[in-house]
Amino acid sequence: MLSFRTLETLLGLQEALDLARNAGFFETSTASSGVNPPVNIFEKNGDLVLVAELPGVKKKELNIEVKENILRLSGTRTIDYGKDVSYHRIERNSSKFDRTLRLPFNIESGKVLAEYKDGLLVVSLPHAESDKPKKIAIQ
Amino acid sequence: MDKETKEVAKVENRKPVKTQFEGEKTVSGKYYIPRTDIIETGKSLIVTMDVPGVKKENVNVMLENNILEVDAKIDFSPYKSLNPVYTEYNVGHYTRKFSVSNAIDTEKIDANLADGVLTLTLPKAPEAQPRKIQIS
Repeated sequence: MLSFRTLETLLGLQEALDLARNAGFFETSTASSGVNPPVNIFEKNGDLVLVAELPGVKKKELNIEVKENILRLSGTRTIDYGKDVSYHRIERNSSKFDRTLRLPFNIESGKVLAEYKDGLLVVSLPHAESDKPKKIAIQ
Repeated sequence: MDKETKEVAKVENRKPVKTQFEGEKTVSGKYYIPRTDIIETGKSLIVTMDVPGVKKENVNVMLENNILEVDAKIDFSPYKSLNPVYTEYNVGHYTRKFSVSNAIDTEKIDANLADGVLTLTLPKAPEAQPRKIQIS
């Protein structure tokens, strides 16, 4: 009979294998695996800044929603070379993406700033005042 | 490696989405191979590359001995004041080389950069363009 420990070890192994496979380590192609689009999140003076590489995405096809500590990033990237062309190499692809991220604190949604420039999306996510820790004065 | 590059790169990168360029470069920092489409129309070859974060003035397109080389540098300065807390991709410059046949009119190569996408138009030399032969 399997003890709980053994099961846990097996599940751990399974998880490690899944991780390794998703990491793209065994792949030689330039195509991506995993989440789309990948994002980097930075911290700046207690607020968050999200950066995503979205080359060739039109501004109007990008959609950003923020509610409390949830950020949703969706959009479409269309690549169309039209008719009467022949293809030699295709590495870029059209894609539809929709990602939802849970952030560590609530965001002041009215003060979120998003900028799209040179194929980079930069979203500043200020920490909501209501969610900041309050210093309590001792009576 | 620049200090900034190190800062962005140091956090474990779980899902590498870009292919790193393994050759040697004279500039410090990581280099990646940009994803590229190459299509052909009747008049020209069009090379389209994803180079997010690159500004126009930092793109260098060179043609020498039928080798077309693209070198695109990104600006690390916006990352200086930022502290990475969660990362999924690495940031670096881009480089890629293609050999071009002499059926290309090398004088008239045109480059355009918009929204992080670099488009190179390589017009075919007149003698390489398709011609419809009239039957007399």
